[in-house]
Amino acid sequence: MTIAPEHPSEGRTSAGSGTPARAGARRRIGSLEVVVVGLAGLLVAQRLSGGWTGPPWLQAWTTVFVAICVQALPFLLFGTLLSAAIAAFVPASFLQRALPRNPVLAVPVAGVAGVVLPGCECASVPVADRLIARGVAPAAALAFLLSSPAINPVVLAATAVAFRGHPEMVLARFLASLATAVAMGLLWARFGRPEWLRPRARREPPPGTGRLAVFRSTLEHDLLHAGGFLVIGGITAATLNVLVPRDVLKGAAGVPGVSVLVLALLAVVLAVCSEADAFVAASLSVFPPSARLAFMVVGPMVDTKLIALQAGTFGRAFAWRFSSATFLVAVVSSTLLGWWLL
Amino acid sequence: MVAAVRREVQAILLVLLGTALLRISLFSDAYLRYVRAGLRPYLVATGVALVLLGVVSAVAAVRAMSGAAAATGDPDGHADGPGHGQPGDHSDHDHHGHHDHHGHHGGPRIAWLLTLPVLAIVLITPPALGTYTAQRSESTATKPASADAAFPPLPTGDPLVMALGSFDARAVWDTSAALRGRRVKLTGFATPKKGGGWYLTRLTISCCAADALASKVEIRGPYASTEAPPQGSWVEVVGTWQPDGQTAQPDTIPALTATQLTRIPEPRNPYE
Repeated sequence: MTIAPEHPSEGRTSAGSGTPARAGARRRIGSLEVVVVGLAGLLVAQRLSGGWTGPPWLQAWTTVFVAICVQALPFLLFGTLLSAAIAAFVPASFLQRALPRNPVLAVPVAGVAGVVLPGCECASVPVADRLIARGVAPAAALAFLLSSPAINPVVLAATAVAFRGHPEMVLARFLASLATAVAMGLLWARFGRPEWLRPRARREPPPGTGRLAVFRSTLEHDLLHAGGFLVIGGITAATLNVLVPRDVLKGAAGVPGVSVLVLALLAVVLAVCSEADAFVAASLSVFPPSARLAFMVVGPMVDTKLIALQAGTFGRAFAWRFSSATFLVAVVSSTLLGWWLL
Repeated sequence: MVAAVRREVQAILLVLLGTALLRISLFSDAYLRYVRAGLRPYLVATGVALVLLGVVSAVAAVRAMSGAAAATGDPDGHADGPGHGQPGDHSDHDHHGHHDHHGHHGGPRIAWLLTLPVLAIVLITPPALGTYTAQRSESTATKPASADAAFPPLPTGDPLVMALGSFDARAVWDTSAALRGRRVKLTGFATPKKGGGWYLTRLTISCCAADALASKVEIRGPYASTEAPPQGSWVEVVGTWQPDGQTAQPDTIPALTATQLTRIPEPRNPYE
């Protein structure tokens, strides 16, 4: 891959064999200097700050922000490891053969395949992105993106523990999540436009690159990229978390239609990891079961940190369309299944 | 415009992030302020992996740089395109798949944001959530999952050491009133009550601090007002449940007549 056309002079300056010393001097103007100065500043600031933590609201904000980042990083690393492994070791032809060619068949298959990825939603975004880059139909990859954090065994087991004595809640969660994922995949196959997904013309590494090198560079890039967007999501979630008092919600608990919407919105705002959201849902016991089901169906598919991750990975045009449609489908499917099963 | 993150800097960012994670998970118990204890092995593994990845990446960057300086090409046999060594101040490259020429063109600018959690952890190491959060949330006495499943009998012991959350659940939902007359010992911090008095409070997290829920017990007796501990301080309270016929609601706050109060340091795990 060459980027020379846009930056011919820089390319020549540094890559040309003529003036390596000057090239070195030029190079050090960039981010490396910033980081070195920043590190020095950090050491000084740490000495000076002396345990300063700010006013109570800022303390709570920082704690929630750090908590969201720290909690999500292992899952993000897992997802990017998997994504890098797919990029480096799984030939594109294998994935294309593994899925039916017809999207109407491929979408449910991909949705059910979500069972195999035992992670939370942060892990599924890089993986789905990689699947699309490797030639999987976007409709199928998106169904996988939505279903994998919601219906994998770890999440279902957590739900069973949180709602002990209510196996119908686990069944309802599984069915409502799968239905939403498949419906969104089919909607994308029918109405989705390729231009909504960010163009990825230069995703494939140049031929001849070693597999391990592809693995390492993909991992590094995906991790830094998704990590940056995770931070945006963490900032948003922490802000809403500190701003919106939980008491506000209580008034809505008694109204049947409204309670489902309120808990669905709460799931978007709180950005709780899908492996833990069942415990939060169980604690919201003033709300009717369908509303708590909606909380668990919406949470792994649409939330503030996920929207940030999707916007970073697939582009903003995609993220807002996809997230709002998913929200609606998830609310409808959990209302229907809640009415039927709970 | 923020500079794109160059390869050496990507390596530094990864090492910094990994070190920050190890600092709170391996070298101290600070991670307990943010996440469940069970996450520790994953945090340590992630920290180690990030540091390793950063080091490998730094080595590759240095080798590529020295290789380029000697005009011998990249020892990795790749990534030595003409874009080598740009200052990275061009904004049009940040998201079109720079990774495929993972040479020196610069990583995603968004990665700069990863310095924020690093700064927060290294500079501040924010404290566990406390009175600010507790005051702004209802008390939650989680209703047992199935209404007909009775509570198991209380263990023996006097005073009986209980988690604040299970005390609340018992006091609010246990129809057999097994707590009646039992001396219990609860641990929590003091949160002021509107109109005087205070609540013994503990926060519960199921995954991370973002989902913290509060459990509160209203303290009565001599320690309620005259000898109340300062706001936010940690105490152990021994006392007996004071049933006063409140209707069972998830936000009911039970009361405890305290006979003994001891100031303690913050527990290792501040949450239940």
